Amino acid sequence: MSRQHLQSSLTGSPMTSAEAGRGLDYRPMAMMPDVVVLKIGGQSILDRGRAAVHPILDELRAVKDKKKLLVCTGGGTRARHIYAMASELSMPTGVLAALGGYVPRQNARMVQMLLANDGGIYIMHDDFEKLPLYFRLGCIPVMTGMPPFGYWEKPSHESRIPAHRTDAGVFLSAEVLGARRALFIKDEDGLYDDDPKKNPSAKLIPRIGAKELLKRDLPDLAVERVVIEYLARARFCKELQIVNGLVPGNVQRAILGEDVGSIIHAD
Amino acid sequence: MMNKLVPGDGRIHIESSLMRESLVNRAVAARTDSEQELAILPHVKMVSIGGQSIFDRGKDAVLPVIDEIAALRAQKSHAMVLCVGGGTRTRHTVSIAVDLGLPLGGIAQLVGAMEEANAVFANALLAKTGSIVMQREHFWELPLYLEAGMMPICISIPPYHFWEPPTESPLPAHGSDFGAFEHAEVLGMEHIIFVKDEDGLYDKDPKKHADARFIARTTLDALRAMQLPEMILDHTLFDAWRDARHVKKVQIVNGLKPGLLTRALAGEDVGTVITKSVAKDGTKGARQ
Repeated sequence: MSRQHLQSSLTGSPMTSAEAGRGLDYRPMAMMPDVVVLKIGGQSILDRGRAAVHPILDELRAVKDKKKLLVCTGGGTRARHIYAMASELSMPTGVLAALGGYVPRQNARMVQMLLANDGGIYIMHDDFEKLPLYFRLGCIPVMTGMPPFGYWEKPSHESRIPAHRTDAGVFLSAEVLGARRALFIKDEDGLYDDDPKKNPSAKLIPRIGAKELLKRDLPDLAVERVVIEYLARARFCKELQIVNGLVPGNVQRAILGEDVGSIIHAD
Repeated sequence: MMNKLVPGDGRIHIESSLMRESLVNRAVAARTDSEQELAILPHVKMVSIGGQSIFDRGKDAVLPVIDEIAALRAQKSHAMVLCVGGGTRTRHTVSIAVDLGLPLGGIAQLVGAMEEANAVFANALLAKTGSIVMQREHFWELPLYLEAGMMPICISIPPYHFWEPPTESPLPAHGSDFGAFEHAEVLGMEHIIFVKDEDGLYDKDPKKHADARFIARTTLDALRAMQLPEMILDHTLFDAWRDARHVKKVQIVNGLKPGLLTRALAGEDVGTVITKSVAKDGTKGARQ
């Protein structure tokens, strides 16, 4: 009763560690490198309602025929309410991750309705493989920023908040598509060395390397920490761009490749 | 009570302890932590049947394991969830996908299918004992299945799919053992048993090294300190275990030796038993 193997470069490998992959000839190709993966912030943009959201969607409409846009949404204050309630009830992080998934999905549906007349189409994780079709039809696919980890999210260190939320999902979407940059639309001019809403003397950081940023060990960041960690070992998505969507023109300029806002890059 | 809408800064907030907060802020995140955590189904045990180690050996290895599970089912002594691995077909899939140059998330998207096939195999063999394949979308039907006296069979690979985080290696890091572990952990289970084709954990792969030393008992901290290059379980499982709160015991038994799974489920320390270390002050050390 020996193992009945299929012959391959990994035959018999335990595949339990990175060691198992050493020596493999791996030259990954970029699936759709020209897609612009962007996130509309939850607390920063969507919770502001019409005044913030409508002008940003107008900017998306203005460039939609020049660029393939994958629009992802953040959660915001309802997600915070869910995380607060669930933490108070001592729920596991995996349950928080599953619960936290509902809000960005609602937000994606809202954005889809607003963009419907321009080809906005709500997609789920399982529709990801149909992106080429949506782009060929001139659609603007809109999806949750949250990755599908849900109940399988790892327990967090000294916290119950899931480590992979909508920033991580947006970055990982860009990475698997082979896009060079992930774009985060927020309500501040970029990355600061502290929360500019709480600390008026916080300083803007226009450009910084991921490792350098991690080394500074800031108490707060404009992007989820795991994203900065992953950026250092990403194969395709080497830059995060954070722009202020409340400043007219910024979103279009960023989509067209201009370095507005802050750039965090692989170093 | 957290039910008040708070406007005033251009956004509309809902009052909560996280209102207006940055969830990335360490101090804010720490406020959500606490010693205790809800254990959803603590009485249930997770049993993982190896793909390469058991399924790929075919009938001679699979049927005795199935018979043992069927006997356990007849006794109705344990509420358990079965997980299955993918085995050599998963390795073949990854090997081809790496050669083709698919992105890492694309490779991760593919591997679950081979486990689904093994779940169908296991379910076909165990259906008469009341097994049922549990789809991930039916996560909350687990208590229903258990209450009805059934044994759910899950696939182990976690649903990271296209969103698998990048690694230096072309192999997705979040594999079957990790997935089975997280599934058990989020439900508050305390004991996971991995059924493999070795007596347990060795300091190196016993299939390649005749002088490999057997490790009958160890702790998570001791195991991490050993930094073993070849492990019988995913290294990500041990990383995740540090911050986990429920899983207390990970056990590895040899499925080629009938009776060991039964004894492990009965609480006997057969095979290798890895326990979570306890800090010297006996309190929070488990979460270093």
